[in-house]
Amino acid sequence: MNEFIINTLSLGSLYALIALGLVFVYGILKLVNFAYGEYIMTAGYGLFLLGTYTPLPWWSVMLLSVALAALMSYLTELIAFRPVRTKSLTAMLVTSFAVSVLLQNAALLFISPRSRAVQLPAAFNQSVALLGVTTPLRNLLTIGTTVALLVGLTLLMKYTVLGIAMRAASDKFSTTRLMGVPANLVISVAFIISGLLAGVVSVFWVGRSASVDPLIGFTPLLIAFIATVIGGMRSLVGAVAGGYVYGLLFNVLSITLPASVINYRDAFMFLIVILFLLLRPEGLIRGSYTEERVG
Amino acid sequence: MLTVNDLHASYGAIKALHGVSLEVEEGELVALLGTNGAGKSTTLKSISGVLRPLAGTVRFLGDEITGRKPEAIVKKGLSLVPEGRDIFGSLTVAENLRLGAFSSYERNRYQEDLEEQFALFPILKERFNQPGGQLSGGEQQQLAIARALMSRPKLLMLDEPSLGLSPALVDQIFALIETLRDRGTTILLVEQNAERALEIADRAYVLKNGLIKFSGTPQQLESELDLASVYFGGEEGMGEVTV
Amino acid sequence: MSVLERILNGAPGRFTVVALAALLLVGAVLVNAFAPFVWVGIYTYFCVTLMLVLGLELFMGNSGILNWTYIGFVGIGAYSASILSTDPSLKHMGVPNMYPALVNLHLPVVPALLVGALVAAAVAAVIAWPLMRLSDAVGVITLFATLIVIHVLMTQWDNVTNGPRTFFGVQQFTTIWIATGAAILTLVGTHLFRESSLGLRLRASRDDRFAASAMGVSVVRVRYLTFILSSFVAGLGGGLWAHYITSFSPTSFYVGELFVLLTMLVVGGAGSISGAATGAIIITVLREGLRQVESYLNNSGVISFEVYGLTEVVMAMLLIAMLIWRPTGIVGGSEWRLPLRRKQAAAAPSPEPPAEPVLETEAAEEAK
Ligand SMILES: Nc1ncnc2c1ncn2[C@@H]1O[C@H](COP(=O)(O)OP(=O)(O)OP(=O)(O)O)[C@@H](O)[C@H]1O
Ligand SMILES: [Mg+2]
Repeated sequence: MNEFIINTLSLGSLYALIALGLVFVYGILKLVNFAYGEYIMTAGYGLFLLGTYTPLPWWSVMLLSVALAALMSYLTELIAFRPVRTKSLTAMLVTSFAVSVLLQNAALLFISPRSRAVQLPAAFNQSVALLGVTTPLRNLLTIGTTVALLVGLTLLMKYTVLGIAMRAASDKFSTTRLMGVPANLVISVAFIISGLLAGVVSVFWVGRSASVDPLIGFTPLLIAFIATVIGGMRSLVGAVAGGYVYGLLFNVLSITLPASVINYRDAFMFLIVILFLLLRPEGLIRGSYTEERVG
Repeated sequence: MLTVNDLHASYGAIKALHGVSLEVEEGELVALLGTNGAGKSTTLKSISGVLRPLAGTVRFLGDEITGRKPEAIVKKGLSLVPEGRDIFGSLTVAENLRLGAFSSYERNRYQEDLEEQFALFPILKERFNQPGGQLSGGEQQQLAIARALMSRPKLLMLDEPSLGLSPALVDQIFALIETLRDRGTTILLVEQNAERALEIADRAYVLKNGLIKFSGTPQQLESELDLASVYFGGEEGMGEVTV
Repeated sequence: MSVLERILNGAPGRFTVVALAALLLVGAVLVNAFAPFVWVGIYTYFCVTLMLVLGLELFMGNSGILNWTYIGFVGIGAYSASILSTDPSLKHMGVPNMYPALVNLHLPVVPALLVGALVAAAVAAVIAWPLMRLSDAVGVITLFATLIVIHVLMTQWDNVTNGPRTFFGVQQFTTIWIATGAAILTLVGTHLFRESSLGLRLRASRDDRFAASAMGVSVVRVRYLTFILSSFVAGLGGGLWAHYITSFSPTSFYVGELFVLLTMLVVGGAGSISGAATGAIIITVLREGLRQVESYLNNSGVISFEVYGLTEVVMAMLLIAMLIWRPTGIVGGSEWRLPLRRKQAAAAPSPEPPAEPVLETEAAEEAK
């Protein structure tokens, strides 16, 4: 039982971070960013390239990779999303789809279609005993990092002007600009935070498989969708809650589904999502964000 | 101080302004009147940069600001209190006010300005840590004005501040606008409540179908055309008005 | 007034349809007579693709909603038609574990294709009703989730689809003539739809959802019917494609292929038949060209590693560039016109509203 709890907390934490990264941009731009998974991929290749070809110590490889994801997120905002921001929602969606395809295939073209092994410090996967459970240290690190990040982001959003401005912008974008808050600033910051979260996710995600490939971002993207749908697209708290609920749901389904249908788990998950959307489009937590678009 | 020349604006295919020109001098309180849909809010949005005008120019303090970003225009000292108050409902009163000071934040001045708003709007001090969405309509309007004042605007544009308020609150808001004017804030006031607006205005413009149909002092306006025709009348009377 | 003129001066877009149909037919004759054999295959493939883009445009271009599930319905049509048309004795080779009941189901190709399209339409009819009520983010995610569900079923249900493995042994039925004919029929069909009252109502609801509901257009109902129609075209196109390519797997009906169709639509110009057609032509040519480059690079030994993804990288960059600089697409939302008529149109105000860009917002004037 304790093992189940730790596994669920660890998985839920990872999923919460994944969901949070997607919602940060959605809250402000009302854009469901299909390229989000590719920021995770970017950090994954950062881990691979820096870890393999440079003598940097592992902690700086990790920090640089996370920064790389944030940079990539910012660059896509600057180059692709900013120019289409005033156009329709569908135009932005198609742009994010195109950015996703572009980054995936750039990795195929310039790195390799095959997956690459990523060296992470051995301690990462070492088992530790806690509450009578032996679990990889990675799981505890996931939980700890998530808690630290959530506390940090809460402080940022609650007590800094930038955070207040970001919350205001996800409520009423044009009015926020009338306060003198630059539109580009809040949007760029949202993308950078989204990228940072993707980078941190990547460290733990890659940590599980110890490899990276061009399609690595796809599953986290789906997870982000499911979690945000469960929790509600319109609030950051909802996204985090959705992540934990989904982590729980995932572990429960993995245990309870008979082996013959385990392959359909993803389909089940999405059926649940679809039902959820149909029955409760606003998610578990009804955010205060309006559907007003940035335009 | 503010010179608007031949401003055109549209929403997609719908043209809302067909060449609006107006001027506001330093220290004045100018009223912009007109029926529903005349284009008053569109004019203010075009001046403040929320809407990009199709043609025409806006000059403020000697610089052309046409089509600039709203955030840049606020920074120059031109603030808009939008129609329907538009306060941030999920943010506390304190946070709303803090954002108001976004473009001009200095620690000492901020405290000073805050005290000033509390003096003008005592209710905001009481509600300081409550979410804006929990305020009553009148309180929200006060918050919206206070929020705009936090940026120390040189020119304050108010879009129907009395909308939806009880008569007692309307009195209070108009008294407040006068106070602000007396303290030296230049004001461009959009109002449905023409009589009240004309009582305190130095000059007035009348907008109709996206065009300025009259400009002059309140006395001229009252003598030259029947006030009712501004609101309910058709074209008769309007054509004879000389500008 | 000659008959030709009368035809050409009909509803806007009629000229496009007549011209395109003629072009397709002439193209087929020329390719068949003079071009190398590979070109016949490319042309056949192009015609089926054109049909699929037109089907995508049918719903997306007219409603402005990004329809992720479309490619799933192409797959449903492909699998259904192939299962029905394949000879029972051959089915065990293609799908070793197939349900006995399915093995014995057999139809000639043409009815099989129609049934395939109907199955796609029927599935669409069942799942789409609740979907159409959602909008914005929730709608997008739901459509995407639905595509994932369809894909998981295709890759896991190996008693029907052979799972993630290749489905073999489909008859080669779709010739260049059949594909050309199908593309022309789809052209005419989508044109008639646009001018039908359903099509007009759908476009009204795209331009202003609220105004359309106020005028008594039931947005949900109109979208629902169009979605089914679009899925029917998807299913038919999928069936024809399967009977041209003869073996395929679920990856042919997933995000990557949707990206190609979507690029065609956006590059050409969502919102008109001319746009869909122009995009299909340009992207097909571009893709074939880039494939040649890729295979040259891989075979000539100029570079030491294998080139993958070059085509997609170029297409994605093109798509992003179009969205930034010309979101209405090359054609720009209006239909092709005769040069002569364009002059007239310039002189006299056109009775038709001009461009109806799907990817531009109503509030484009809002400053940024
Ligand atoms: N967002 C919008 N989209 C389309 N048309 C609009 C929009 N906002 C205003 N309009 C139109 O522009 C014209 C001018 O509107 P505006 O809001 O400026 O009027 P107003 O004078 O402020 O009226 P009111 O006194 O009712 O506030 C009206 O015809 C209105 O229908
Ligand atoms: Mg107004």
